Amino acid sequence: MTRLTFALAASTLALAAAAPALAEDLRIFGWAGEMPDEVLQDFEAETGIAVTFDTFDSNESLIAKLDAGGSGYDLVNPSQYAVQILVNRGKLAELDHSRIETYDKIGPSFTQVSYDPGNKYSIPYVWGTTGLAYNKTCVDAPITGWKALFDEKYKGRVYMLDNMLAAYIAGLQVNGFDANTTDPAEIEKATETLIAQKPMLAGYNSTNFADLVSSGEACIVESWSSSVLQAIQDNPDVVYVLPEEGGTMWIDGYSILTDAPNPDAAYRFLSYILRPEVAAKTTELTQTATVVTESKALLPDALAKNPAVFPAESTIANADFILDLGDAMKLYQDGWTRVKAAQ
Amino acid sequence: MRSARARPGWFTRVFVHGVSGWVTLLTYLFMLVPIVILVAFAFNAGKSTVVWTGFSLGWFEKVWHNRNIARALHVSLVVALGSAALSTAIGALAAVAITRREFPGRDLLGAALAAPLVLPEIVLGVGLLVFMSFAGVPLGYGSMIVGHVLVSIPFATLIVRAAAASLDVRLEDAAADLGANEWQTFRLVTLPQLMPAIATAFLLSATLSFDNLVMSTFTSGVGTTTLPLRIYSMLKLGITPEINALGALMVVANVAILLLVMGRYLPLMLKPNRR
Amino acid sequence: MRRALRQRIEIGAMLAPSVLLLGVFVLVPLCVVAAYSFALRDPYGAVLPGFTLRNYADLFQGVYLLVFVNSFELAASTTALCLLIGYPVAYFIAFKAGRFAPALLLLLLIPFWINFLIRISAWVVLLGRGGLINRGLVGAGLVDAPVGMLGSYGATLVGMVYAFLPLTVFPVYAALQPIDRRLIEAGADLGAGPAETFLRITLPLSLPGVLAAALFVFVPSMGVFAIPVLLGGGKDIILGNLIVQLFLEFRNIPLGAAVSMLLLAFAGLGILLYMRALRRVEAMR
Repeated sequence: MTRLTFALAASTLALAAAAPALAEDLRIFGWAGEMPDEVLQDFEAETGIAVTFDTFDSNESLIAKLDAGGSGYDLVNPSQYAVQILVNRGKLAELDHSRIETYDKIGPSFTQVSYDPGNKYSIPYVWGTTGLAYNKTCVDAPITGWKALFDEKYKGRVYMLDNMLAAYIAGLQVNGFDANTTDPAEIEKATETLIAQKPMLAGYNSTNFADLVSSGEACIVESWSSSVLQAIQDNPDVVYVLPEEGGTMWIDGYSILTDAPNPDAAYRFLSYILRPEVAAKTTELTQTATVVTESKALLPDALAKNPAVFPAESTIANADFILDLGDAMKLYQDGWTRVKAAQ
Repeated sequence: MRSARARPGWFTRVFVHGVSGWVTLLTYLFMLVPIVILVAFAFNAGKSTVVWTGFSLGWFEKVWHNRNIARALHVSLVVALGSAALSTAIGALAAVAITRREFPGRDLLGAALAAPLVLPEIVLGVGLLVFMSFAGVPLGYGSMIVGHVLVSIPFATLIVRAAAASLDVRLEDAAADLGANEWQTFRLVTLPQLMPAIATAFLLSATLSFDNLVMSTFTSGVGTTTLPLRIYSMLKLGITPEINALGALMVVANVAILLLVMGRYLPLMLKPNRR
Repeated sequence: MRRALRQRIEIGAMLAPSVLLLGVFVLVPLCVVAAYSFALRDPYGAVLPGFTLRNYADLFQGVYLLVFVNSFELAASTTALCLLIGYPVAYFIAFKAGRFAPALLLLLLIPFWINFLIRISAWVVLLGRGGLINRGLVGAGLVDAPVGMLGSYGATLVGMVYAFLPLTVFPVYAALQPIDRRLIEAGADLGAGPAETFLRITLPLSLPGVLAAALFVFVPSMGVFAIPVLLGGGKDIILGNLIVQLFLEFRNIPLGAAVSMLLLAFAGLGILLYMRALRRVEAMR
């Protein structure tokens, strides 16, 4: 080894050692873009607990990371069906609600959720819908439903989410089926629809689809509400729509891991984010609705009345809610592989 | 008698000899123009990366104050330098041994060192992850550096092998004849000749590590989020000039480092060659 | 006798680190993956101990073979393009650039230090309908409306070449650089034209570098997944996407492990061929 290499190795070790030793620590593994940095910094300032927030971009990668064990995180941020899966795998600790001072701030409709009655394992936090977004300048009439994604008129200007469940929501509902179905015949029909759609698609994209529709590169994209609403702030030509065929509603919440190194800090964090003013700040910065009903009153009118952020009860009633599909997952997976490999 | 060397005509000189020159020019344009545009838009006043609205340094400010980026950069640098040093050292030693000497399992080792190239990174990553948790090793800098070494060692080894194969063995034989042992021959004869290749291997390894996404996803522990991982989550929020500004800063840093490293050679490079 | 023993020890010392590294961090995880490829899974994706050949049987369905073919095509095209472009560049740097050679090499690395994702997003912007290329085309009157370039196979290729080109130039350069110029001059003195000198002297001598470059590009190309997604629209699934999908989206670890084993076996063949070729070239000294 040359002197240069030695020097580099030595400085590397020095750099590593220089990484500051942290005081009390909270480690969170969550969705990118759902928890604003400002809120984390406020929490740090108030409690003196140093927060590390690492991100993932799909429930599946979260589950994969946790499966290997020893992740080192205190809190994780799964969506509703992922909570069920993680509970089945024994990864989530039962919550002691008495340690969450602000537990009563959670809206009543969110305390008896089907995937986790009584919120034994998770505290729901943000919720949204899966629908579609389009750019007004490139369509001739307002878009109202999934069928627009399959319309030849928009050939080459449509993106679907690169996510099996999301794609099947559209494929199933456009055929009049429930997005939660386990019926092989219905899943097959949806697969055929998706394969037929492929030639007219510009692509599958779960990364920067908001950008694509905002810049006009795409006319219509399948989209999660939270992702595109921030783009809408910058470009009023973009419209988010919950399709008439139903769409779905999702809830992302926080759960404490069974092997969490610092559950105390985790409980303090949960208590903190459920405060109405903190929840309001989260909504303002991320354009995503929270489960804290009181926070709505603290929001600027434009936001509180935004039907994309806070869809009306009647609209939601029509939406499906994806739960863990168990064995039927295999049918979806085979179908999705066929869709993706189709030429 | 006149030398039989054929004098190439002007056509050959420009278009055939010059082919490599043209290709090189176009290639460098292809490689660098997107970078130039990227850097240009880092100074854009508006939020667009396509429409120029005016000049502003605002995005640079934003990047500078972004804690997450600062942390990620620190992590990335440590891992890149550490893994590149290890990769190059281990790979170079093995490469020379393989090229020069017969020993049982020579082909096998050669193939094995190239194996991480062949295995999908995700498989290596998952395998490592499972292994680490099985052994109770917490994920962090250690696991990341190991993962990155695995990714870059095939490159380091093969580059040094390619160079070692071109060396004149007679120099080493001469040294041996003069009484030098293996280690001395290696240190005083082989190594100096291999320096360009080793430096190349180091640079490439560090670059690969700095850029790495897949292996990092699996081997990152709490608080060891590398820059690519951080950028990936930034991209989900839209491609804004903040990302351009980050890119521009990286170019500047890169050039600065290169000048520092190459600084010794600069006067030599600028002096006209005596031929 | 003593010398031979000393030689053995010294060689052993040189090889120890690499053998250790490979043994612990590649061999063992590989065995784990191999074991998983024969394992069963529960509906939630956890691996159950057991032995079954079903995973491999599943692989030979039409769908997965199609994915293999797609991957091949993309890898082959990328390698060919990279070599075609990269060799002349390496040649220029090695023979024509003189004292600027180090600078040129470093220049080539600059894009790499900016981070892959940012570079690709630069291309996403460039190739978009509102991007500069389209603006230029429309402005110059060459097309009526912006051309949709994103989401096409061509866009994917552009991204692939952009990503892998330096990996081609470096090994070829490393092989070309030490070539004794006198060998080339000798060829010219003996009456060979520039083309002949190149084909019969330079090219053969640079083969180890070319082979390395081909290997560096071909195999990783099959495992890439970001470029086909960001530039190619995610419509063509190649092995890289498949494996990510199986491991992460579908959590079908046994099947993912089986695909990986097949990929390994297959590419292991490639490496063996490469090794043979390399040794034959090295033996020519």
